[in-house]
Formats: sequence, C-alpha cells, structure tokens
Amino acid sequence: MTALPAFRNEPLLELRRAPERARLDDALRALDTRLPLRVPIWIGDERRDGDALRSTDPGTPDRVVATAPIATADDAHAAVAAAQAAFPAWAATPAADRAATLVRGAAWMRERRAELAALCVRECAKPWAEADADVAEAIDFLEYYARGALVLADAPPGLVQVPGERNTLRYAPRGVCAVIAPWNFPLAIPAGMTAAALATGNSVVLKPAEQAPGCGRMVVEALRAGGVPPAALALLPGEGETGAALAAHPGVATIAFTGSGAVGLELLRTAAAKPPQAGVLTRVVAEMGGKNCVLVDADADLDDAVPAIVHSAFAYAGQKCSAAARVLVHEAVADALLERLAGAVAVLPVGQAEAHGTVTGPVVEEAAQARVARYAQLASDTGTIAARRDPPTSPGWFAGPTVATDLPSESPVLSEEIFGPLLAVERVCDLDEACDRVDALPFALTGGLFARNPRTIAQVASRSPVGNLYVNRGITGAMVGRQPFGGNRLSGTGTKAGGPDYLLQFVEPRVMTENTMRHGLVVG
Amino acid sequence: MPGDVPPPESEVVAIGREIAAALPSPARHPGKAIDARAMDFTSRDAELRAALFRFVDVVPACRSVDDLAAHLTGFLGEVDAQTPPIKAAMRMGDSRAGRAALGTAAAAGVKHMARRFIVADSPAGARGTLQRLWRDGTAASVDLLGEATITSAEADGYAARCAEALDALTEIYRGSPPRPLLERDGAGPLPRANLSVKVSALTPLLRPDAPALGQEDAAPRLRALLRTARELDAHLHVDMESFDSREAITDLVLDLLAEDEFRDGPSAGMVLQAYLRDGGELLDRVLAFSAEHERASPLTIRLVKGAYWDHELVEARQHGWEPPVWEHKAESDRNFEALTLRLLAARPAVRVAIASHNLRSVAHAIAAADADVEFQVLRGLGDDLGHALAHLGHRVRVYCPVGDLVAGMAYLVRRLLENTSNESFLAEQARGAALDDLLAAP
Ligand SMILES: Cc1cc2nc3c(=O)[nH]c(=O)nc-3n(C[C@H](O)[C@H](O)[C@H](O)COP(=O)(O)OP(=O)(O)OC[C@H]3O[C@@H](n4cnc5c(N)ncnc54)[C@H](O)[C@@H]3O)c2cc1C
Repeated sequence: MTALPAFRNEPLLELRRAPERARLDDALRALDTRLPLRVPIWIGDERRDGDALRSTDPGTPDRVVATAPIATADDAHAAVAAAQAAFPAWAATPAADRAATLVRGAAWMRERRAELAALCVRECAKPWAEADADVAEAIDFLEYYARGALVLADAPPGLVQVPGERNTLRYAPRGVCAVIAPWNFPLAIPAGMTAAALATGNSVVLKPAEQAPGCGRMVVEALRAGGVPPAALALLPGEGETGAALAAHPGVATIAFTGSGAVGLELLRTAAAKPPQAGVLTRVVAEMGGKNCVLVDADADLDDAVPAIVHSAFAYAGQKCSAAARVLVHEAVADALLERLAGAVAVLPVGQAEAHGTVTGPVVEEAAQARVARYAQLASDTGTIAARRDPPTSPGWFAGPTVATDLPSESPVLSEEIFGPLLAVERVCDLDEACDRVDALPFALTGGLFARNPRTIAQVASRSPVGNLYVNRGITGAMVGRQPFGGNRLSGTGTKAGGPDYLLQFVEPRVMTENTMRHGLVVG
Repeated sequence: MPGDVPPPESEVVAIGREIAAALPSPARHPGKAIDARAMDFTSRDAELRAALFRFVDVVPACRSVDDLAAHLTGFLGEVDAQTPPIKAAMRMGDSRAGRAALGTAAAAGVKHMARRFIVADSPAGARGTLQRLWRDGTAASVDLLGEATITSAEADGYAARCAEALDALTEIYRGSPPRPLLERDGAGPLPRANLSVKVSALTPLLRPDAPALGQEDAAPRLRALLRTARELDAHLHVDMESFDSREAITDLVLDLLAEDEFRDGPSAGMVLQAYLRDGGELLDRVLAFSAEHERASPLTIRLVKGAYWDHELVEARQHGWEPPVWEHKAESDRNFEALTLRLLAARPAVRVAIASHNLRSVAHAIAAADADVEFQVLRGLGDDLGHALAHLGHRVRVYCPVGDLVAGMAYLVRRLLENTSNESFLAEQARGAALDDLLAAP
C-alpha cells in the first residue's frame, strides 16, 4: 500500500447552498421509505434480527426508525468468544493493511454522506448541520486513526542504545475491546472508539446505544465493507444489561466507553472486580459528563459572546457532552448579557430536526424530557427564569430552551449534569471568582472564555482544569486532529479522542533487549 | 452581448491620468499625510498592526483609562519586535499615572481615527456635513452603524432608527439648493435622501443554512421601510454582506420589490460583489428580474469588489470548501471590469453605481460609459477620489456611516484593515506606486 496522504478533516456540507440542502431532503425522503431498519445481533457472519428493541424518532415518537433484538449475556459471551478467536489473525495483519480497511470504510461512509446524516436526523433528532458534522467526524476518526496506527507501528519512540545491546519498543494490541457507545454522536463516537481499537490490531464488540442501534449498524457495515474481517467486529444491540454483561466478560481487555458518569464509574468498578483468573487488568477508556462553564469578562464583545453561548447551550438541545451549562459573567456586563441572551433565546429556531435552520430539536426520549422539566421547575422555584421558550406543540419530546439566573450557590442546577436545553447564568465580581467556581466542580470537560486582554486569557488558561478550553468562540464542535477531545476529573480518564496519543490506550508497549556481544565482538 | 466591448486601453489610461491630476496633493493636506504615514508605518509590522487593531476593537468595551492602558500594554506585550516606542508605552503601563496618560492619549488617538470614517453620531448630527457635501456637488448615502442584531428588539430598534433617518434626511435636504447632476439621470428623477441598510441588522435570524428564516423575519421590517421611503420619496439601498447571507438578502430584496405596491416606488437598490466567482450569475438573475418587473424607477445596482474577502477565505479554508471568492486580486479586478461592461450595457433597465477607490477600476468605467453612471466612495477612504470625480463633472455619492463610537468600532476596524491590507489599491497608492502601474490593466 502506498503511503496515505496527510490527514485532512472531511469538509462539512456547504449547507448555505440550496442544492446541498435539497440533496439532504431527498435523502431523508428516501430513508423514510425504508424504515424501520433491521439491526441484527451480528457475530461473524451470523445475524439474528428481532424487534425487542425499537428506536423511534424523538420528534415523532410513533415513527419506528430501527428494530433490533436485545442481546443477552449469552450473546455477549458468544461475541467475545468470536472476537477472541479472531484476534490473533487481525493482530498479525500488517498495520498498513488494517489502516487500508479503515480508509476504505471511510470511503464507504463518504459515498453515503446524505443517507447517514438523514439517519442521524431521524434516529437521534440531530438538526441537519449537526447530523452532517457527525458523519464527517466519523469519517475523520477512521482516517485519523488509520494514520496514527501506522505511526505507532512504523515509528515507535526510540530508546537509549549502548554498544553491545539493542533496545526496541513496539506496541502490541491488547485483545478484545468492548465499545460501549452513546446516542448523542450516534455515528462519530462509536466509529471513533471502534476504529481506534481496530487500527491498533484489537478485535471489537460494539454495543451501540439503545436509542441508536440503526446508526450503530452503519458503523459496523462501513468497517466490514472496508475489509475488517467479520469475526473481528461484532455488533451487539441491547440495553444497559447487555453492556454490563459485555464489560464484565473476562475476555474483554479494554472497555472504551462514552456516556454518563454513573455508568462510567460502574464500568471502572466492573473492570477492577474481574477475578485474577481472567488474567487481565481491564483498561477503561471513559468519556463522561461535564458541567461546562463559559466565563465572560467585562471586556468581552457581547456581539460575539451571546450567539456563541446560545449555540453552545442550545444546539442539539444541549445534548452534547461539550455543551454550555453555566455562564459566569462579570457583573459589569451581566445585565446587558442577560437581556441579549433572553432576546436571542426568544427567537431561537426550535422545532423538528429535519427543518433547515432548527437549532433546538426535541430531546432524545421521554425520560430526558422529564428530567429537563424537573430541573427547569427547580430553577424556577429557587431562582429567576430569564428566558423560556415554549416548546412546539407536537408529539415529540420537546423541552423548551430556558435561561435561569439568581440560583442559590448550592442549587443542583449549578452542579449536576442536566444534558438538556437549560442554561444557568451567574454574576461574578471578577474572573478570579469565576475560576474559583469552576475549580470547585467535580467535572472538567470543556470551558469557554470571552475576554480580550491577553493577560487575562493567559491567567484563566493557567488556572483552568478543563480538558478543552475555548477562547472567544463557542465551546462545542471539536474537530478531529484540531481539538483532541476529552475531559479530566470526573469527566473522563483524561484521554483525548482525535488526538495524537489516543491510540496508546489500545495498545501495550513491549520492549525487547537483545545482547549483540558475542565473544567480545559486537555482532548486531 | 452588444455594448460589452471593452474601452480602448489608451483611453482608460488617459482618463486615469486626468483623475490623478485632479486629486488634491498631499502637501495641501498635512493632517491626512500624517495619518497616511502612520498607517503605512503600522502596516509594515504585521504583529504591531494586529496589536493596534485589537486595541481599537476593544476600546468601546474598556471601562476606564486605566483599563484602556492595561489592554494596550497587554496587546503590545505580544509584539515580538519591542521597539523603543513600544518599550516606552510598556513602561508607562507600570504606574497608575503612566497608565492614565497612556490611556487618555490612546483613547484620543482612536477617536481621531474614528472621526475620519464616521460622520456623526446621528443623522441629525450629520446635517452640516451632508449639506456641505451637497452644496459642493456631492450626494450621500447614510449608513447607520450599530451593534450586531441578535434579538427582535434590536432588529426593531434598527428599523426604527432607519425610519427616523429617512425623515431626518428628507428634512436636511429640503431647503438645499438644486443640483441637477445629482437629481436626475437618463432614467428620471433621483431622490436626494438616500439610506443604505443592512439586512443583518433587520433580523436576528439570518442563518446560512436556512435563508428563508431570515428572509421571512426581515421582510415586514424592510417592507415598512420601503413604504416610508416611498412616502418620503427617498432612495433605499440594501447593502450586501458575507456570502453566508447572500441568498437571504437577494431573495428578500427581489421578492419585496416584486410586490405590486412597490412598482411605482420607492427608488431602491442592491449590491453586486465582483469578488464572488458567481457574481455574473447573480447579475443574470437581477437582469432577468428587471426585465420581468418594470418599475417606475429602475433598480440601482451598486458594483463593488466586496468587503468580506478575508472572512470568506478563512471560513472556506476552515471548512474545507472551495472559496466563493476569487483568490487573486487581479481576478476580482477583471471581474469588476467585466461586470461594469455588462451593467452599463443593461441600462436603462437598471441604474449603475460604480463603488471603488481603485483609480483603474473607476477610469475603466468612465471610459466605457458615456454618461448616466454614478460613482460612490466611502467617507474617510475615498474623499479625495470623490472630490476629483465631482470636479470632473461626474455624479458622486459618498457613503457616510453615522453612529456612536461604541457601535461603530467594528466598522472602523474593517476600514482600517482594508486601508492597510497589502493588496489594496489605496495601500499601494500610499506606498507611492507609479501611476502607470496603478493604471495597468489587471
Ligand atoms: C460606496 C461603497 C459602498 C460599498 N458597499 C458594499 C457592500 O454593500 N458590500 C460589500 O461587500 N462591499 C461594499 N463596499 C466595500 C467594497 O467592497 C470595498 O471597499 C472594496 O472591496 C474595495 O475595493 P476597491 O476597488 O476600492 O479597492 P481595490 O484595492 O482595488 O480592491 C480591494 C478589494 O479586492 C478584493 N481582493 C483583495 N485581495 C484579493 C485577492 N487576493 N483575491 C481576490 N480578490 C481580492 C477584495 O474585495 C478587496 O476589498 C462598498 C464600497 C463603497 C465605496
């Protein structure tokens, strides 16, 4: 295989051009005629359909998008056993060949850009721009990790050498990787975790989110179409119990997880509790929640800050791990910011994901709607509602975008992850106070800062614990290779998806030292 | 197309020389010469230039002279080449008294610069300037500066300010002496009062991926302004903005003007950007519109190169898109000339306004047009060219931004950037490029 061209992010669709938008509308219409999609338990070449699990359109809940069986502990066992059997051959496949399969998988997705975006719109109510970005990011992960794995294989770090010995380090795959994926980036995140494991020579069992099995199937199809041996990549649709059974399996060497903090902590415990007979210390790569704060200094340009905050808090109904949940604003501009924020929320396009221009669609499911409503009620009972949009009167799981302020400092609205379109605004007397409040949080995923004095920017950056700090821009939309993404503290294990060192989580370093002295001569 | 024939080069050059000879000499305007030199100086050091622009940009958000000085030294501290003047400023930042002096001086400097580009803080306040311009034989179009519109209240506020401006302008020009050149062309009478408006200020809903949202939201406000303009017999000109909003702005203007009630007025216009690769296609559409919808006063098309070139290029690069703009300056210049010829040939179905500070682009248009073409310049950048053209008997309109300093700073920064950008005609002219080179065909 010839060397791969340098990585370049997959261009987003230019949705400001009418023909591009029309192409997406066509793809959605075409998809609708094919629903529901069948998602099998897919182990090697064996597939078993079922309809115990149904994903529905959050905007029109009686539309079934995909049906799948619910994989049992036995299915998980079978999938891991198959992946274990496939592992040696896949691990022995030259890194360049593995990379080539990923690149072909990316090409498969690239040919289906519109169709895949349409599926994100339907299954997870992602507005078009976000759905398209999801597809592009999935492609990016495949392309990026293909290249990264080649670097690990071909150019591992050098070691100190002295005469008479040769020291070499290489990275070997760890074994079977269980990928447990979320629904909020239903293509990109499973594609990323799966591709990272495969590129480095691990075999994978993918458990997609119960809300997004259809997207999960597409990830597996893409990679298999690219040439990943069926036995090296299994699809295991199901609910929480399926994931738990998979994670607890002694044959699983690595768990790659993105999702809620509660499940992440449970997985860490599961991994630690495996019996010594399993012969493995299961590694957990976990990306969990956040309570992301945007700091606004007195010298911020509100013309920029307000739209960026609105987008960060309310795009995709606030259901991104990186979304803004709190604004800490300097008291000198707090009134102006609140007034403009309220005005901006009042005209925010709220509606069905498929309508071009929608920023806030429905939340993913009924339980999410109830959760957001609970926090909104709490905010209104204990604070002031600065802005609130009534959700559209349609059967979808809509939650009206809300801005709350004057909340007591111990309010759960300020500390718990809500994962919905609810933003809290607090006044601070200076940025030091804002940094103190950020520092008091158990989470440290993303953060934002609007300020223009370079000294202030440097100070905040040096104090900020977050994994991704964004200055004078929105705090969502990390790009593969440009903004390696991941959080610290309770937000994650500190790994950076889409970054240069992510793949190291999926390998174990092995060092060989060879004596090259023989009869007093250096022979090697 | 007949009439598209380019004028002979020799004539373009001869006209260019004639305009150049009519430009005021720097010797007679010592103040301007100093400004020009200051800009030239800063434009040599890209970092210093960036530091000063960032400072100008943040001035309205600073709360005290101390704060101003802190920002200035913050930006200057990032400049690698710490020349003696920078070091001196940095030292002043170390003491309270020093900061007070530095902050006061810096604020005064920025105000001085802003006054060159911003006529007054309100249309009424611009009375003196507008009347003087008119008496000297120059028309104006007023542009209301403001914060970005992100709420409906802000859009309503801007629309209300526009309506007031139309009133104020009508009143300002009421007693002005007749200026036949400015008041009539081959297509009929020309209104005295002329207001330029921005659609991005008329709606908070301009979304690149959903132009219909912004169009629908802005339509009632623009419709009301068109009615006011018609009642007052004023001209309303809709500026063009970045490519993200082009579809919304174009559809909005053409759809509204197609409404029956506006067939007899007011006089209205839009803008064609020559730096867009598909500028010609937009012109096709506008000409088709004009052919289909006969209007009492033909649509005025202001031809510009385009003010968002850097933005368009950066946005396209960040997203991996083919830029919508040409990437070589000469391509924009050539397209400007090609579109000039097409526009001139399309008269009287449209009125043509050539808006450029480039002597070559302007000379080319004059050489190609017999008469009945208007020239437009920006206040603060094109004043000299405007004088020279008016002196030579052409109809000139000066685009006059009005608004307070706070709201106007973004505008000021844009104009400063334009003035010091390496490829700008004005920068080359200020650098002392030879007239023959300045007038050469692109
Ligand atoms: C009265 C008036 C009204 C205006 N209204 C508008 C408006 O509504 N909308 C708007 O967008 N602009 C508007 N403009 C601004 C105008 O677009 C800029 O002032 C103009 O682009 C500068 O062009 P020039 O011919 O004066 O100068 P020149 O120096 O000849 O041209 C500079 C221009 O060339 C283009 N350019 C620069 N570098 C490159 C490159 N590498 N490749 C390709 N092209 C390049 C850019 O457009 C740049 O602004 C207006 C200008 C005037 C005078």
